[in-house]
Amino acid sequence: MYSFPVTLEAVTVPLLLSLKVAGIATFIASVMGISVAWLAAKRDFWGKEVLDALLTLPVVLPPTVLGYYLLVLLGRRGPIGSWLETYFGINLIFTWQGAVIAASIVAFPLVYKSARSAFEGVSRRYEDASRVLGKNEFQVFSLVTFPLAIRGILAGSMLAFARALGEFGATLMVAGSLPGKTQTLSIAVYEAVQAGHDQVANFLVVVTSIVCIVVLLASNYFLKPKYREA
Amino acid sequence: MGVEVDVQQTFRSGGHDFNLNIQFSCDENITVLFGQSGAGKSLLLKIIAGLQDTQTGKIVINGRVLFDSSEGINIPSRYRRIGFLFQDYALFPHMTVGENIGFSKRSIFSKRLIEKDAERVRELLEIFQIKDFSKKYPSEISGGQRQRVGLARALLQKPDILLLDEPFSALDPLLRIQMRAELKKIQSIFNIPILFITHDPQDVAELGERLVLIKQGLVSGSVDLSNPPYRDSLGKPVRPEIRKILLSAAGVSSA
Repeated sequence: MYSFPVTLEAVTVPLLLSLKVAGIATFIASVMGISVAWLAAKRDFWGKEVLDALLTLPVVLPPTVLGYYLLVLLGRRGPIGSWLETYFGINLIFTWQGAVIAASIVAFPLVYKSARSAFEGVSRRYEDASRVLGKNEFQVFSLVTFPLAIRGILAGSMLAFARALGEFGATLMVAGSLPGKTQTLSIAVYEAVQAGHDQVANFLVVVTSIVCIVVLLASNYFLKPKYREA
Repeated sequence: MGVEVDVQQTFRSGGHDFNLNIQFSCDENITVLFGQSGAGKSLLLKIIAGLQDTQTGKIVINGRVLFDSSEGINIPSRYRRIGFLFQDYALFPHMTVGENIGFSKRSIFSKRLIEKDAERVRELLEIFQIKDFSKKYPSEISGGQRQRVGLARALLQKPDILLLDEPFSALDPLLRIQMRAELKKIQSIFNIPILFITHDPQDVAELGERLVLIKQGLVSGSVDLSNPPYRDSLGKPVRPEIRKILLSAAGVSSA
C-alpha cells in the first residue's frame, strides 16, 4: 500500500483548528449552559421541564440531523442565514465559525446538565444564610452558589470540550472539509483513511486519543468534592 | 423594643393544606417558641426573616415595619437586619471560620475587610473564644465551635434581633448545657433580643422569659415565664410548673 509521508503540517493544522473551534465552542456552551442551568435549578417557571428536554436533545439526536437543522436555519435561504446575509453580509456555511456553532450546540447539553445538577446540589440554606447576611441575588450567586458549584461546572465544561473536539457529523454538514479552513482533527482522520494515508491517520488518531484522555482525567479531578459539608 | 408578629399563610404540601395563622407580641430578652415538629415554627422564623413569602399580615421588630400586607410593605431579607442561626448553622463550607464571620461585610471582589470591620471580626473571635480556629474550615471544627461561628457571623452586622432555629438540637446533651449558658451570656453582652424555637422543655426552663406555644400552625398560648409561679424568688426556674404548662399545651393531662 502506498504510504503517504507524515508531515508536521498534516497534524498541526487540523489539531490547532480543532483546538480553536473546540475552545471557542466550549466557552460559548459554558456561558449559555451556566446561565440556563442556574435558571432551571433555582427558579420556577412554566414549561421548565419541556425546555430541559429540548436543550438536552443534541445529546440524543444524530449529529447529521442536527447538522441538517443548522443548514436549514443558517443557509442562505434559512431564516437566520438570510438575515445575517442581508444585514451583516455574513455567511456561516463552510466557515470555521459555522463549525464553532455546530460544536457549541453539540457541547451545550453537557455543560447545561452538569451545571444544573451542580447548582441543585448547593443547598438553599447557604443561599438563605447569605441573604439574611445582607447580600443581594447577584452577590449570593457570585459568593456562594457559583463557588460551591464550580467543580461540577468545570467537569461539565471539560466533557463539553472533549465532545466538541470529537464533533464530526454536524460540523461536516455545516462547515464541510476544507483543508486548513474547516477540516478539523476528526474530519482529517476520516479524509486520511479515505485517501489511504494510513500513517497520517495513525498519528492523528493517537494525538486525538491523548488529548481526550487528558481532558477526561481533568474532568474526573474536578468531580471530586473539595469541601466537606459541615 | 419588641416583636409584633401577625401572619397568615396557607402552604400546600403533599396534597393537603397547612394553615399558618400566628399572632403574638413580646418584649422580653429571650422568647421561646415551643411546639412539636411540624407545628410551623421553622416556617414562622423564615417568614420573619423574609426567606419565605407570606400572603397577609404584619411583622414589626423594634418599631420597624418589615412586612405589612395592607400597606404593601415587604422589606427584602438583606435589609431586615436580622441575625439568623440555622438549625445546622449553614456555615459556608468553602470559607474559613474568619471568612464566614466577616461575610456580611465583604465585597464580591475581595475577602479582605476594611480595618473597622476586620477589628470587629477579631473582637468576635475573642468573645466567642474561637480565635485559634479562624483559619480552619467549618468541617474541621466541633459542633459547639460551629455554633459559636454561626452566632458570631450573625452578630457582625449588628442585627436588631437574633432568630435561632433549634440551636441546640445538633449538640450532645452535655454541650447543650454549656451552650445554653453561653447563649444567655451572649444575650446580655450584646443586649439583643432573642427569639428561638425549640421542642426541648429544658431550653424553655433554662432560657425562656416569654413562652409562646405553637400547635398546628396556631398560637395556643403565650406565657410570661419571668415571674412566679414559673420563677422562684431567686429567679430560678420552677420546673414542675413549667412542665405542667408544656404538657397541657401538648394536650397531655399532667398527673
